[in-house]
Amino acid sequence: MNKALYAAASGMAAQQQNLEIISENLSNADVAGFKGAAATFDDVAAPGGTSLGTASIGTHTVFTQGKLMHSGGPFDLAIDGPGFFAVVDERGRHAYTRSGEFSRSADGTLRTPQGWRLQGVRIPDNALSATVADDGTVTVRTAKGTSVCGRIRLTEFAAPEFLRSDGGTLFFATRASGKPRSVEPGSPGGPAVKFGMLEKSNVTIIEAMMQILAAQRAYEANAKGVQAADEMMRIADNLQRG
Amino acid sequence: MSGAYHAHMDGIGWAASAMNAARVRLDTATENLANGSTDGFRKTDVRGFLTARGVAMERSRSAAQGPLRRTGRPFDLAIIGSGEFRVRGSDGRAVSTRNGAFTRDRFSRLVDDAGRVLLGNRGPVRVPDGARIEENGSVTRNGIVLERIALPAGSSVRSGFLESSNVDAIGEMIDVLTAQRSFESAQKVLSAIDQTRERASTQVAQLK
Repeated sequence: MNKALYAAASGMAAQQQNLEIISENLSNADVAGFKGAAATFDDVAAPGGTSLGTASIGTHTVFTQGKLMHSGGPFDLAIDGPGFFAVVDERGRHAYTRSGEFSRSADGTLRTPQGWRLQGVRIPDNALSATVADDGTVTVRTAKGTSVCGRIRLTEFAAPEFLRSDGGTLFFATRASGKPRSVEPGSPGGPAVKFGMLEKSNVTIIEAMMQILAAQRAYEANAKGVQAADEMMRIADNLQRG
Repeated sequence: MSGAYHAHMDGIGWAASAMNAARVRLDTATENLANGSTDGFRKTDVRGFLTARGVAMERSRSAAQGPLRRTGRPFDLAIIGSGEFRVRGSDGRAVSTRNGAFTRDRFSRLVDDAGRVLLGNRGPVRVPDGARIEENGSVTRNGIVLERIALPAGSSVRSGFLESSNVDAIGEMIDVLTAQRSFESAQKVLSAIDQTRERASTQVAQLK
């Protein structure tokens, strides 16, 4: 029964960890460009092949494409395909994001809500409006006509799953992710920049709710296993007292 | 049954074997329940049967296919049919698993969340840009087979899917309850026999 107790307890711990990850996903289901995470569990096998329960062996970020939706912001951008927007902060740190909620700041640069600057573009003061083509070319319209004022390039990594996440929508390069590689959007088969759109979180509320329900049920089932093991140990204990 | 009855088996022996069988059933059910979220996990089935020495339990690994779950990640792999992935950890030890949640690293190798690399027919499998994993387990680019993930005949591999655990939580819950109840019943039988014997040893002497 001791084995049962530990196995069931390991199941409860696994489901608790699972719930934490799903809740984290769910709370970011409305955040543009957010990528969900998933945990991997493995059975803990004792020599001889019997299982001693389960344990988490790690988590990974799920970089599947989120749905693109039309949005109202004048500088909203989305990436259709792989890649990231390269952004830089005041201290010169580089980060990568798929959240394209940019707004124009006083100096004409496009910035994320946290103030990170999108590289490769500056909107001139006299611009009346701006558009971004699928290939990242930024065209502004002024009183004198239209002109190209920059090109947004995207960044790809050999192994994006190994980027370090800030817990939100920013990612940082690591040794394991490989070096950032600049790519031009808009080539056939490659990623494209979509102007006036945002990429929704790839976590859907319905899916996350279903996962939460399943994890809760599994947690309860394992708790029942703990109870049963405890009850049987009590019975066995009484037996010895005669 | 009488011919096979073992000389040393009395009522207490039978009740004890039933309690032990219930313990094995509980151990197995909790192991299975704990792995309800372990992708690629194959549950252990138990079967009780009578022997000359009481109730015996036989454990066997289920071969039932777990349900496939779509993930959309290109290097999540699910095996349909028999067979396992061979993965090698940093300690150099190769193990088999049906959990195919792989991520491509910067060397184009496929690694799982524990950092173990997927092995093919010649060392770690590499999936360069533009290559794909075919259903027969071969890694191809432009129609040329680069390497192969070994699979038994008749099995196939599906990318973008994971095989969920084949544990059925309801069945395991029933097993937990069954184990608990049969443990209780066997204990009552054992206590009843014990009391009878106690009476026999204390009250027989009081006969007048």
